[in-house]
Amino acid sequence: MAQRVADSERGARRIRAPRFAMALPAWIWFVFFFTLPVLWIVYYSFGYKPDIFHPIATDKLSFDTYHEAFSSTFLHVFSQTLQISILGTALCFLIGFPFAYWLATRVAPRWRGLLLGLVVVPFFVNFLVRTIGWFILLSPNGPVSSLLQRSGIRSEPLHLLETRGAVQLGVVYNYLALMILPLFVTLDRLDPAMREASKDLGASRWKTFRQVTLPLSAPGIVAGLLLVFIPLTGDYITALVLGGAKGNMAGVMVASQFTIAQNWALGAAQAVILIAMIMGTVAVFAVIALAIRTIARANRKITLPPIVEETA
Amino acid sequence: MSALEEPAKRRRRDLVDVTLRVWGIVVYAFLFLPILVIVAYSFNNGRAMLVWSGIGLDGYRTGITDPTIQDAVKTSIVAASGTALIATVLGSFAGIALARRKGKWTVLFLALVFLILVTPEIVDAIALLIWYVRIGGPFGPNATIPAVSYGMLRLWAGHSLFATAVVTLIVRARLLGLEETLEEAAADLYAPPARRFRQITLPLMFPAVLAGALLAFALSLDDTIISSFVSVAGASPWPVYVFSAVRNVLRPEIASVSTLLLMLTLIAIASVALVLRRTGQSGRDVAKTMTVGG
Amino acid sequence: MSEPDEGLRILASPESAQRISRRAFMSGSVVVAVAGGSILLSACSSSSSAAGAASSGAASPTLEDQLAFLHWAAYDDPKLFKKFTQEFGPATSIDTYASNEEAITKLVAAAGSSGYDIVVPTGPYIPQMVANNLLQELDLSKIPNFKNLETVFANQPWDPGNKHSVCKDWGTVGWIVDKSQISRPINTWNDFIDVAMNEASGNFSLLDAQNEVMGVYFWANGIDWTTTDQADLDAYEAWTLQMAPHVKKFESYPGYQFASGNYALSHVWNGDARQGFNSFKDPSRYSWGMGAPKTELWMDNWTIVQGAPHPEAAYAFINFILDPANSLQDLAFHGYNTGITGVKEAAQAAGYPFLDMIFFSDAQLATMQAQEINAAFDREVQIFLKMKAAAGG
Repeated sequence: MAQRVADSERGARRIRAPRFAMALPAWIWFVFFFTLPVLWIVYYSFGYKPDIFHPIATDKLSFDTYHEAFSSTFLHVFSQTLQISILGTALCFLIGFPFAYWLATRVAPRWRGLLLGLVVVPFFVNFLVRTIGWFILLSPNGPVSSLLQRSGIRSEPLHLLETRGAVQLGVVYNYLALMILPLFVTLDRLDPAMREASKDLGASRWKTFRQVTLPLSAPGIVAGLLLVFIPLTGDYITALVLGGAKGNMAGVMVASQFTIAQNWALGAAQAVILIAMIMGTVAVFAVIALAIRTIARANRKITLPPIVEETA
Repeated sequence: MSALEEPAKRRRRDLVDVTLRVWGIVVYAFLFLPILVIVAYSFNNGRAMLVWSGIGLDGYRTGITDPTIQDAVKTSIVAASGTALIATVLGSFAGIALARRKGKWTVLFLALVFLILVTPEIVDAIALLIWYVRIGGPFGPNATIPAVSYGMLRLWAGHSLFATAVVTLIVRARLLGLEETLEEAAADLYAPPARRFRQITLPLMFPAVLAGALLAFALSLDDTIISSFVSVAGASPWPVYVFSAVRNVLRPEIASVSTLLLMLTLIAIASVALVLRRTGQSGRDVAKTMTVGG
Repeated sequence: MSEPDEGLRILASPESAQRISRRAFMSGSVVVAVAGGSILLSACSSSSSAAGAASSGAASPTLEDQLAFLHWAAYDDPKLFKKFTQEFGPATSIDTYASNEEAITKLVAAAGSSGYDIVVPTGPYIPQMVANNLLQELDLSKIPNFKNLETVFANQPWDPGNKHSVCKDWGTVGWIVDKSQISRPINTWNDFIDVAMNEASGNFSLLDAQNEVMGVYFWANGIDWTTTDQADLDAYEAWTLQMAPHVKKFESYPGYQFASGNYALSHVWNGDARQGFNSFKDPSRYSWGMGAPKTELWMDNWTIVQGAPHPEAAYAFINFILDPANSLQDLAFHGYNTGITGVKEAAQAAGYPFLDMIFFSDAQLATMQAQEINAAFDREVQIFLKMKAAAGG
């Protein structure tokens, strides 16, 4: 019956809109305000800076700017950025996973929505203002420093601000919610019956966790890792506010080519390198993860013994 | 859903349970610590936010009366409203198409959406800055659209990128989670497509659209990097004001206005959650929809 | 939630069977629409209407209703802006930068579309800005108060005849030291560098401006900082890479931050240092030192941006700020010598504190040098950015 209706509709309308018609406006919007500008940046990365007051010239395209971008001091910033972001992502996971697990399995269902909302509330405060909150907390005359000094743990003011450590702390804080949310969603969807069955079959809690819960929550873990790692690597504000000279990150470096040096070619080249670095790291870890999965699967393979026919 | 939940019998609270609960509390404390600091320092009666000089409402008074701050907040709200509108319209239709009209194009479009979500904001910001200067037109000072400043157009276009991507995914996720059976039934009952859309599809995806609009609004309010790069005189939103204050002198009114904005955002979310509750969503569904998980 | 109809139950799974209630949908949309509409409506009434209505009889009928500044931070008394709006009408807005390079980048990137009216560049940058069509020529007849400026501060080598700029104020650079952390006296730039690399290592700041950092090295080593000799620049670059690991932050406004104990030593402009001193609970704990044996003489200037949307308001403001009473009030706020005739005596008469940080003796003036933008500029900027990159980790 549905087919007959559809047929009659098709007959009534001569022209059928293409399937993606409704997505077309969004598509055009994205292409015009995202794809084209970013491609333009890539185009600029092959240009050069002609003189003091002109930021870019593209009459001669070359890889020269990339040579400059690959200088050792700039590369050092990229490597430091990668260190901060990998460690930061790992910390977000280590902090966020137990939390999401607790929320999804140990909290009564009727409270889960509210508690999840509570996690998100701090993130409705402006990103910059949150970071300023840490700026106050970590400043040498601030609350944390005074507390540490008064309780005798430290003898002099806290010098955490304007260091790499402050940036590390700041980025973990700022991106933690992006780890917790997908993890919670996946863990929440997990059927508790699976864990119960595993326990019924005699597996210890740790084994259940390792072989049932963890693999089943893999999509959420992957989503969380990606959602945290990628923006964190390109972070600009946390590094600028908390980092001082020592907590420099690639995002700040790229920006300063545009805000201070007016060297759009160099800035564009560094931006391209940043994007490539992010994608490259994700690709490397994807390969590693696949390798681990293949090995783990191979280990868990059960070879059934051949069936021995009983001669009656 | 509830059939397989653990029965409400008394469970021995063992070490793992206790540790997990303690961890939960620790994480909440960690998450709220800087927020509480900001709220506390909003009552600082001094000139500089970092130097405590007594409790008072000076920060609030200055924050509410200072014309520069008023301008900045107004700009932010107008930018956020426009962004929410654009993102909701574009994203909802894209989400419907992705969920109901799947095809070979789906992968390509989703890849684009994914790219937008993961590109570092600094790259977006400088790309848009260069792009706006390059194309000029409505984004330049010889603006062709009356009554809307070209600075505001820049903000709307810039903020709506990420927001549209997010709304697309929310609406798509919502529609994917609902079977098409209701819409097919309506088709069986000879309802024309437009009517089907208006009376079945739209109400079904309403929670997602509403959540998406709210999220787009909040994302635009929060946008700092793109705003600080593309904004022009007279169209500087609030985060840009805070940004320049960070780079010279922080004053308590920043904390005060931030606290007020947080209150406003929370009220908005609460009202949206209330509306969603009335359409029959459970609390958990509401939370999940609004956190893109639904 | 009431029991759904039996008919619907077959088609819709329990999770999705919700109240597809028209009323709920409509009420929700109405709330959103009303909220959105009211916000947009209130936003459409422009913010300038409030300020414009407050104009007094002195308001010129041709003044625009806005005035947009691209400005340094904390550089003018906010009360003066309010006074200007009350007396003349235009509402003021300020966007800030921390170095001249930043300001120029913003203007160049906007390619005439920035929307700013007034920018405040330091003198030596002006010729290039003019050559690249970033600044308007000034019609001095619209600034009658120009005569209040002491003649020695008008007609500067970078802008003969004041065709594009009017002196806002001038100042110098030096350091603030927290004496409770650093006991050694710091008298010269060499002392400054030595302390920075030793006692204050990891606890001091440099100005976030490439020319200032350059000055520290060249003055400490007796080299003319306008050099374009590549060997000198190579030596400067090597020094920056040595210095980089010791820097805590590149900070253009450290004055206030001393109060929160952020630094033991800071490279600072004299007026910002003075603002810091005004805020210290115990000023005797800190000391300000002017750069020695040589230091900078910089002059910041009011200029009107090419393509400024509100030029008449800009002229009105520049004239307003050159009024002696307003100039004195501004000086008390930012702590820089505004160059208006008689302002020093007025400040002394008013008993403002820390005047030794604003007014300098002839002997001190003789040690001050102006900057020059020359062929070495691009390289100097890149050396600075490399230093910032090297400072990390």
